[in-house]
This record gives sequence, structure tokens and C-alpha cells, in this order.
Amino acid sequence: MMNRITNLPTLKIDPSKAVSLKYHDIPYQGCAGDTVATALYAGGVRIFGRSLKYHRPRGLYSLDGECSNTCMEIDAIPNERSENLPARDGMVVREQNVKGSAEHDKLSFIDKLDWAMPAGFYYHTMHKPAALWPLAMKQIRKAAGLGRLSPDFRQTGRFDEIFPSTEVCVIGGGPSGMQAALSAAEQGLRVILLEARPWLGGFYDYRTVQDDHAVPLYERGRKLAEKVSAHPGIRVLTHTSLVGTYNNGLVTAFRRGSSEDSFAERYIEIRAKSVVVATGCIERPLLFENNERPGVMQAGCAHRLLNTFGILPGKTAVFAVGHDLGLEAALDLHDQGVNIACIADLRTEGQNPDLLKALESRDITYQPGQTALEAHGKKLLTGVVLGSMDGSSQKTLPCDLLVASAGLTPVSGPLTINKGSVAYDAHTGSFLPDKLPENTRVAGRILGLGDPEAIEASGHLAGLQAAQDCGLDSAADLQKAEQALAELPGPEKGTDFVIGPVSGRKSFICFDEDTTIKNIKQAINKGFDVPELIKRFTSAGTGPGQGGIPDHNLPLFTALYQGSAQESVRPTNRRPPLTPIFLSTYAGRNHDMAKRTPMHDRQKQDGGIFRRLGVWRRARYFSEDLSCRQEVENVRSNVGIFDGSTLGKFRIHGPDCLKALDRVFVSDMHKVKQGRIKYTAMCNEDGCVIDDGVITKMGENDYFFTTSTGRAGATVEWIRYHTRYEGRDFHMVNLTDAFGVINLSGPNARKVIEKVVDQDISNEALPFSGVKGFSIGQNVEVFVMRLGFVGELSYEIHVPSSYMESVWDLLLEAGQEFGIMNFGVEAQNVLRMEKGHIILGQESEQRTNLLDVHLGFLWHRDKPEAKTVGSLALKQAEQDPDRLKLVGLKMQEAKVPGDGCVIVDESRIRGYVCTIRKSFSVDGIVGLALVEGPLAKPGSVVSIYEDECKGNLLKADVVPLPFYDPEGARMKA
Amino acid sequence: MEKTQQKPLWGPKKPLKSSYDAVIVGGGLHGLATAYFLARDHGITDVAVIDKNFIGYGGAGRNTAIVRANQRTQENVPLYKEALDLWPVLTKELDFNLMFNNCGNLNLMHSEAAMKAARMNISTAQFLGVESHLLDKKQVKDLEPALNVSEDIVYPIHGAMFHPPGGILRHDAVVWGLAKGVAGYGGDIHQQTEVTAINTEKGKIASVDTSAGSIKTPKVLVAAGGYSAAIINMMLGIRLPISVLTIQAMVTQPLKPLLDHVVSSGAYHVYCNQTLKGEIATGAHMDAWPNYTTLTTAHYIKHQAEALTQFLPCLAGLKFMRIWGGLADMTPDMAPIMDGNDHIRGFFMDCGWGYFGFKSCTSTGKYMAEFMATDEYPEMLKPFTLRRYEQHRLMGETPALVNYSPDN
Ligand SMILES: Cc1cc2nc3c(=O)[nH]c(=O)nc-3n(C[C@H](O)[C@H](O)[C@H](O)COP(=O)(O)OP(=O)(O)OC[C@H]3O[C@@H](n4cnc5c(N)ncnc54)[C@H](O)[C@@H]3O)c2cc1C
Repeated sequence: MMNRITNLPTLKIDPSKAVSLKYHDIPYQGCAGDTVATALYAGGVRIFGRSLKYHRPRGLYSLDGECSNTCMEIDAIPNERSENLPARDGMVVREQNVKGSAEHDKLSFIDKLDWAMPAGFYYHTMHKPAALWPLAMKQIRKAAGLGRLSPDFRQTGRFDEIFPSTEVCVIGGGPSGMQAALSAAEQGLRVILLEARPWLGGFYDYRTVQDDHAVPLYERGRKLAEKVSAHPGIRVLTHTSLVGTYNNGLVTAFRRGSSEDSFAERYIEIRAKSVVVATGCIERPLLFENNERPGVMQAGCAHRLLNTFGILPGKTAVFAVGHDLGLEAALDLHDQGVNIACIADLRTEGQNPDLLKALESRDITYQPGQTALEAHGKKLLTGVVLGSMDGSSQKTLPCDLLVASAGLTPVSGPLTINKGSVAYDAHTGSFLPDKLPENTRVAGRILGLGDPEAIEASGHLAGLQAAQDCGLDSAADLQKAEQALAELPGPEKGTDFVIGPVSGRKSFICFDEDTTIKNIKQAINKGFDVPELIKRFTSAGTGPGQGGIPDHNLPLFTALYQGSAQESVRPTNRRPPLTPIFLSTYAGRNHDMAKRTPMHDRQKQDGGIFRRLGVWRRARYFSEDLSCRQEVENVRSNVGIFDGSTLGKFRIHGPDCLKALDRVFVSDMHKVKQGRIKYTAMCNEDGCVIDDGVITKMGENDYFFTTSTGRAGATVEWIRYHTRYEGRDFHMVNLTDAFGVINLSGPNARKVIEKVVDQDISNEALPFSGVKGFSIGQNVEVFVMRLGFVGELSYEIHVPSSYMESVWDLLLEAGQEFGIMNFGVEAQNVLRMEKGHIILGQESEQRTNLLDVHLGFLWHRDKPEAKTVGSLALKQAEQDPDRLKLVGLKMQEAKVPGDGCVIVDESRIRGYVCTIRKSFSVDGIVGLALVEGPLAKPGSVVSIYEDECKGNLLKADVVPLPFYDPEGARMKA
Repeated sequence: MEKTQQKPLWGPKKPLKSSYDAVIVGGGLHGLATAYFLARDHGITDVAVIDKNFIGYGGAGRNTAIVRANQRTQENVPLYKEALDLWPVLTKELDFNLMFNNCGNLNLMHSEAAMKAARMNISTAQFLGVESHLLDKKQVKDLEPALNVSEDIVYPIHGAMFHPPGGILRHDAVVWGLAKGVAGYGGDIHQQTEVTAINTEKGKIASVDTSAGSIKTPKVLVAAGGYSAAIINMMLGIRLPISVLTIQAMVTQPLKPLLDHVVSSGAYHVYCNQTLKGEIATGAHMDAWPNYTTLTTAHYIKHQAEALTQFLPCLAGLKFMRIWGGLADMTPDMAPIMDGNDHIRGFFMDCGWGYFGFKSCTSTGKYMAEFMATDEYPEMLKPFTLRRYEQHRLMGETPALVNYSPDN
């Protein structure tokens, strides 16, 4: 394949398989294994986009997604990390944040205006005169942001989720992570190993240097990876990026699917007993003027472009590094034909002598104690100024590649986001793990280790420590492993060099936000003297790469600038997600966890229009006429059938059950009798009505009660909670889903039901407020309550759920000749309103107590054996005249105000309308409202302020309740 | 190293004095705003604002800065309305761009019951002279084209409460701007200083102990956000009906303009807006249990994604970039406690602001300052007395009964 080096043993691409992308409508050929960015790079692309503020050209820098340099729009998705995203045939790629193209951006002149934009400049500008700001804001919005997303965009592909549990979760599939996984698995534990790259190997897989046994590291890595992959106890999840770590061993991640997988991306939530963090290091960016010019890249980036992807990153390279990894990269690049003009190394000691020898044997200029001070080149790098760290002995070298890296920086986010901490370590110049989260172990390079043997030994040890977390006794092995590690080289010496003597005007500490060293100085001078505040004021570290670029340099520079000790300056907080993750991936399958009643399908067939109500889906209407006239009138004149299955249904039994009931219900529960139902209510401590329902006695110390639909979920806990201290002996069974409820209402209701029940159901046999068991259809045992919520002769039939459809059918058949019809939740709402019955939450709210809705008659003030929840508050509220009270309203004019309108006088709001309708059963527009006490007397007139009425108030009379059948003759018939 | 020319925004660091006319515990929005208005309106400048960490460490630096004045009750709306009106005033006075983006709030309604609830808020607002309108779903779609108004989601959109006067600000700017204002009047801001005790003598405030020394003072305001209830309980023995819960917010990667309003949904328990930086910022419901930590959870970020991708399906193609947590100090009626001179003379409290204490900080600061300066309880604040709980008179700021934990 063109322009690739194809004979390297470290390659991860398959040069024989082409992949074709489109960028600027031009096809680019990559090969299997490429990322989008490497494919483009191989095709000659050097500028991948423009920076946020200054529209500076940006190029490939790290290959690990630490910054937005290579964020691109791919297949209409913004901010894709092209350097990590595997290239796929047919992808359409666009650059971001440009006016024109990445190469020719018309806004690049902004780069010269930096003098006008000191740190936080926007806080000091654009607000004078005030009229300027809205205009300026529009421009800011346009200028800000990187990618573009269409409002019509729809994500395609399958996004799913898994929730595995395991004993040990190892984060990072490098040498130490692999060793940790192996040692834990060898103890018989189940291990999940997460690796962000598509393959295991970590920093081994692209390195050709040899270990002490003359085995190149990449080969050593492969052997280890084979061993890990073959181990039955280890589940390897490659291409899986860590997202978060939480307490109790919760680890979240997501896996990118390949063409063989059934998913595009998969959200993974792992519960582990022990977590091993082996996330290694990334590189610490080197700071100098124009340190992000395309052509400047980190050592690992240049090295992997060559060894992993077979791409020569440049022709003439200068190196400004602070770590042996830089020297290794220089050697490999040189051997493949890159001209290495010079290597400037921050270090004057601590280098691997073998590497120095190898450089010498190749005649590569090596200059210890030197570094880059400034990069040249308008769009692309053309040269670099090298000099001593104090700025002396400067010289300019032409080059098209500058490999720049200050050293390494541990990836400690997985620790610090979960209550772990880091502390500055002078030897390595790094913030190393300090306090670890519970049951969390660390291994490898994150500890500052550099020697391969030591790194692997630390992994081995961490695996054993994890085994200990899992309860295994591995003391002897542990001791051995600790010993072995102690005998190997410890953390490598690193450098705390931050920046040479340059103005810092174009030395970028954060690429994503275009934050310069100069900006940091400005912020500190303004009093933003700790990194967390500097971050907020300058935005450094708040872009797509988060802290990836600035995390290490910011506290170092802050300490340097303030002349304080590095130990005293805390880095900023890292936050999840540690890898940006699609909302679609988090959402996964996004199941709706709704409940359906047994009659759901039948009601659907009958044209029911459903609504989600709490956990339930319920039929609200049975026609497009949302006033439900036909449904309402049919109940009033014939008979309607209603699915009330969502009612809460409970059995409570045991020696103390009555005491428990007395505590939570307001009534004297001793008065509840067999064969009769009692309507009653529950209050909270403020006396607010929280629930109402009916209760009946089934036997000695055995009661059955219903609750409102919304409260059913909380009822058991509520009763348990309020009886928790008394050691009451009772049991509760939630029968809500075990029974369905059919409500048969209307003057013909008895004619229908008597056709199907096995016993006498006349008014004498089952009067109003009675309850009785029947058999329907020969053998279905039901019990039937006589209630009157909608104000008609009504039967509430409780049926075992599995028989609901059969009983429903029998009733429909029997009701045919009497005009039986469905009615839904809204018709019920109208019917009961006409009857003056309240629905909690509709005619009540957090301020409404039992007395306010005229249910005081239910309240037994002084129970001998129980303090009723809410009783104290009710006693206090009795004295309070200004509370909102429930009233009936009748409109004076023909307009129906909407539910929720407020009731006002000249200056104040005095109440509001709860439910109001044009009635089909009584004359006029009637409704229920809550109004202040003094207005609540029948005969008073209230003014209703409806939204958009522009002050034209509607008048209504306060009238006695109920509107319909005040004597109750119909429901008792 | 050479220095650039900026001056510290809120003055040079000063030593803690041994006495002040008033001490404010907490360098958040409310503390700073009160200090500012004490100076501006009442000439009281010998004030120390004391913060254990740095200003803006608490809710002040973690909130999503949504402002609006479409509350449910007439006791609340005027306070928030005045707060809204103060943003431009303060921007000018402080000579600091608070970046008020007056984009308006679109509060989605997903049921008939919600539409009714919205109508109540809207009628209340209009009656009190605050702009707010009820929209049907077509109007909603016209305002915010990215919304999915079809029936194929769990909670289809019925309409919305549209409140044009609201919007978002830059929360940090408000903290820093107020701090600048306080320092400009000569007030002292002491960071990294912890208040460790509040001392009384004969029922009156006498002094405050801090990690940097003791301060004699006749007046103390506790406005320490989520920490207020604990401070007031532990230092003065007054137990408040407050539960402290973690509340989380998060942002996606930044993009060019997509959303033009604050969009929120009660049914989905989620709100979002696009910041001036281009991120979609979205806030979650509070964690379901009391918790004094600011740790984030795996649950809520997943929940946000599930909810947002339903009614704003295009957001599926965005990536979350950062999540953080803060504290919400919640009272049983979702309204704050602003009180003073009751249990102890010279002691004032301004807390229980839960997740709505940003939008109110300006007017609250103004009235708390008046209260502290004059010792007279401003009419505007009276409904927020602590005594209302004793009298079982909740404020009705939320229609539903609130239950953060079984014990309140
Ligand atoms: C995620 C999130 C989103 C939010 N979104 C919004 C929103 O969109 N709109 C809105 O209106 N509100 C919102 N809020 C709520 C708002 O942020 C808070 O109500 C408000 O910030 C609290 O008031 P404050 O700023 O005065 O207190 P805080 O900022 O919480 O200040 C408390 C300060 O007290 C200090 N302190 C604590 N103990 C001591 C001590 N012993 N001595 C000295 N100092 C001490 C702390 O260091 C802290 O700085 C949100 C809150 C959170 C957490």
C-alpha cells in the first residue's frame, strides 16, 4: 500500500485491506486498523481543524484523545475524536470550527487579536452600553462551540447495555494490568479486564527496545496478551473506555462495537469486589511558544504513527523531550529514514545509557539540558528554536516535525473521581496516587514506575492485593510479590520543568480553550490563585479533552509563578465521564417501565386513548371528543364499565393490625365491620391528606383496604415507618397487581350484574356501602363493593387479575341490552366532580389538609391507643381561618375557564380552580376550587383570572356541593 | 518571573480583624449579595464575608444558573421577579458582565394534569405582572425545532409553559462580580477561613470563632448553602427542617447554536440549555436520599441521557463531557427559610435554597441586608419565616407533597 511502511512487526494495520473515507469530498484511502485521523494523516492531511477562540490550525498531537485538535464531524456527528475512531468505509468527514476550510480559515486573523482578549476579558467587556450585550451574545454563541448538530439528526445503530458483576475489575490492558488480571485469575477469581484500545499491550505494543532477555517489548506484550486472552477466568473487553468509578466497586465503561458485534456501542456497568487501576501515563505537554503548531506532536504519537500505523510522521524531525520514551522514538524514526536534526533533552542525568549509545552510534545530535522555546511556521511547523532552560544558547533548526514532551503524567482520574487523592512527588515531578478508594489497587506506570520488570511485578502484586480484597488469604504470596517489587527499580526520575523564559503569549497550556501561560498569569494576578479557580476563570481544562492537556502543568505553573512549593498546590478535580460518551450509549435500550392493567389490550381495541399516569398506562378517553360527553351521559342514563385496576389494594392482618391502622388512618378503625366498607383517609404530619380509600374487615384481625393509584407504591413503607417503634405484630400484602377492578356504574348497573352473579344482589342483599363475595361465570370468585364515586348506582368488582378479561366479557355481554359502554379516566373525572367528590392531587396539594376538603367528619380526634399521624396538626389548623378551602363554583357566564386559573381580588390571589367543566348532568358550568376561608361561604362571588384574560375577570358563585343528586338517591338506589 | 498588570478582582488579601459590624458565614451568592447590599443600600461596609474554601466553592460555583420568575405562589413570584430585574442593574453597577442570556424558559408539560398546573403558574405570573404563556405543542415545536412532539415517547409533549423573562447567566461571573462589588465598598472577603463557632451572650450574638481567629460582632448571617443547616444546628442548637441532598449537573461537548431556550420537563425530571460556550448543560433531579457529599452517581448521568434522548432525540449524537455534584438543602415545602432576630438577637439565616438559590440571590441579598441593617423583618421575607413549619402552614411552592426521606 502507498506511503506506508509495511514490514514492521509492530503494525496494527492491515495494509492489504483498504478503507475509503471522504474528506472535503475527496476520497482518502486508509487501511483496516487505521483511525480516521491516521488515515487522513497518511493521505497528507496535517491540519484537522481550527481552535476554539483564535482559529489556530491544529493537528495530530497525542493519538490518545486528550484534546480537541482532531475532533471532527463524522457522518453528521460532531466532535468525534478522529484520532481514536476506527476508520470505516464510506465515512464522510468534515473539519470543525472553520469559516472556509481547515487549511484556509477566514477567521484565522483572530489569532492576532489575543491582546484584546486577556483572561476573562468577556467579564469586562460587551456589557456597556447594555443594548450591546444581546447582539454581542449572538456573535459569541456563533463563535463558541466546535461541532454542529442538526436538530433533525437521528442516531442510528443499536445501543445496548450490560451489567456484569465480577470479583476483580482491572482497568487498563497494559503490562501491569495484564499481570494483575493474571495473578487474580490464577487465584481462581473472575476478572474483567478493560482496555480502551482495540488490542491489549498498553505501552509495550509499539516499542522495539529489548528487555533484559533481549526480547523486544512489543513481543513481550503479545505473549502476555495471548496468555491473558487464553485464561478462562479473564473476560477481556478491548475497545472499552472507562467512564466512571464509584463506591462499592461500581465501574462504568462503554465498548465500541466492531462490524462483528451486534451493537454500535454498549454501555457497561460492572460491579466488582475489587478494582485494579492500571491506567498508566499519558505525556505531559511541553510548554513553549506555538507549542501546538501542526507538526508538533508528542513522542508516543510520532512513535505509534510509525510503529503501529506504518506512517512516517515527518521528514526532518527535532526532538524536545524529557523522557527515555522520546529517545526510543527518535531511534525508530531515524531507522526508518526520518532525519533527526537534533534531540534536546530536559534531563542532564538519569537517561538510559544504552539509548544514548544507540543515538551516538547513529550520529544523532543529542543536547541534554536543552529544550524547545518556540516553534516557527505560519500554518505548519517550519522550524524550532532550541535553547537552554534559562533561555541561553538559542539556535533555530528547520524541521517539519517537532516531537515535544516534558515527560509522563499518571492517569489518576479513575482514583480521584472516586474519593482517592494524589500528592506531589518531587522525584518523579508528578502527582502520584496517594489515598486510594476503598478496595482499589494500583499498578504499573501510574505509580511512576518505568522499568518493565517493575511494572509487571507491581501488576502481579496488585492482582494478589485484589484477591485479598475478595477475601482470599494470599498473605504468603503477597509478601513474596512485595519483596520482588522492592528489589526492582523504583519510580523513574522525572523533571518538574514547566516552561523556559518566553512571554507565554502563545504557549498554550490548554489547547481546547486556547488558554495560554500569559492567561494563567493574568488570572493569578486577578486573585484567582488556586488551580480550581484559575480553571474557572480561564476555562483551561473545560473543553472536550477536559484536563488531558493542562492537568499536570497547571498546578506546576501556578506554584512556579507564585513561588510556592509544588506540594502546596492541588491539581484541579477530574470529573466523570473519563471518556466522553454518547448520550445514546448511556441511554442504551431506554426501556419504559410502565405497568398495564389486565384490560389494557381490550381497551386499546375499543379505541381507548392512553395516558401514562405514574407507573401505569391508563385509558383516558374513548373518543376524540375530549369532553367525553357520550361516555358521561351513558353512565348517567344507562351503564358504563370502567377499568379501576390501578387502585392500590392491600390486606393487613395479625394481632396488632388494628393498632397500625389506627395510627395511619384518621378514622376510628375499630368501627370497621365485616360486610361493610368504610371510606377513610390518611394524613401526613402536617395534616395534609395524602391518601383516601375504603376499608373492610375480612375476619378477626384481618382487613382489606384500597388506596389511590398514586399512593399504592408507598403504602407499605408508610405504615411500617409510622409503626416502627412500637414493635407492632402485623403483616401486609400488596394485592394491587393480584386483583383487577371493574367499576360498573349507572342506573342499569344492577340489571347487568345480576345476570352474572350466583346470588341475590338486590339493594337489600347488597346495599350501598356493602361488600360481599360472589361467584361469576360459575367459578370465578369476586367480591363486590357498593360505592358511589361517580354518583350513580355503582359496583366495584374485585377480580383475580387472570380472570379479569373473562369477567369483563361476561359483563359486556350481559350489558349489551342495557347500553353498556366503556368510560375512561376523564369521564370519571367529570362524573365525580359533578358529585363533589375530590381526587387527591387534583383538589388537594401540599397545603391542603383533611379539614380543608371537608373530610373532617372522618377524623376521630382522640383515639385511646394510637396517636394518629397528622392529628396534632389538624387540631392546630382548626383555629386557622385563612386556609384554602374546597368549594363548589358555578360560572355566571358561559365561558369555561381552564383548570388551574387563579381566583383573585384587586390585589391578591385568593385561591384557584381545580377542576371545572361544562356539565352534561346539571345545568351550567360547574367546578371545584380551593379558596381562602373568608371567600368559601356559599353565596359569595369570586373573580377568576384566566391566563391571557388581560384583566377581564370571570365571575362565579360559590355554591353548595354536590352539584349532582345532593340527596344521594341515585347511588343508594 | 515578570508580572502582568492586573489587579486582584476582590482586593488584596487582608488580615482578619478582631471585630466587624457584621459577619457573614459563607462566600456564596447569598452571602456576597447580602454584603453588597449592606454596603450599597445601608452604608454598612465593616463586614466580613468568611468562606471555609474559596468564594464560589459551594452551590454558587456548581449551579446551572437558570433564572426565572414563574413560581407557583404569590409569596414567591415577586421575590424572583425582583431578582430578575436586578441582573441588568447589577451588571451595570458592578461593571462586570454577568452574561445574562435572556433566552426564556420552556417548561414542557406531558399530561393534562401538568397543563393545569402550568395554567396555575401562568395565571399567577400574569396576574402579578410577569410574562408567561401556555403553549400548545405546535407552538412549542416552532420555538424549539429539535423537540420531538410525536406520540412515540414515554411522556408525549402536550404543551409548555413559556416564560420569556427567564434565562441563564454565568454563575461564576455573579460570584466574582459581587465579590468585586463588596471589595469596592471596602468589605473584607476572607477565603480559606472556617467559622468554627458562633457565640451568644444573653440571647444575643456576641462573637464568631474562625480558624484564623475570633471576631467580635453583634450580627451574624449564616448563608452557607448546603452547610447552613448543620452550622445552625451545631453552633446554635436550632434544628431546621432541612434535608441535604446531592444534586448533579453535567455538560456535553460544546457545539454551535442548537437550543435557544432553557428546556425543562417535570415528567422526565430533567432540564437543559445551551451555555454560551456551546455545551448542553443539563441538570438532574436530586438523589433520592439525604447525603452530604458532592459525589456523582452512575445512575443520574444515565437517567439524563435516557430522558433527553426521548424529547430531544438529536442529542443522542452528543457526548457527555463532565458531571459534577453539589448540595441542595431542601425544606419540606421547597421554599427557603429567611429569618432573623427570632431565637437569638442578631442572628440571621438565609438557607433552604435547595436547587433554586441562584435565581433569587440578588433580591434576597437586598432584603436580607435591609433586615440586618434595620432589624425590621421586610414584608417580602415574612412568608419565609421558620415558624411556618411549627404552624403546619407550608407554602405550596410545589403542588405535590414532598418526601425526600421517610422522616420529613
Ligand atoms: C448542581 C446544581 C445546580 C443548580 N442549579 C441551579 C439553577 O439552575 N438555578 C438556581 O436558581 N439555583 C441552582 N442551584 C442552587 C444554588 O446553586 C444554591 O441554592 C445556592 O448557590 C446556595 O446559596 P449560596 O450560593 O449562598 O451558597 P453556597 O455557594 O453553597 O455557599 C456556601 C459557602 O459556605 C462555605 N462554608 C461552609 N461551611 C462554612 C464554615 N463553617 N465557615 C465558612 N464558610 C463555610 C462553603 O465553602 C461555600 O462556599 C443549583 C445547585 C446545584 C448544586
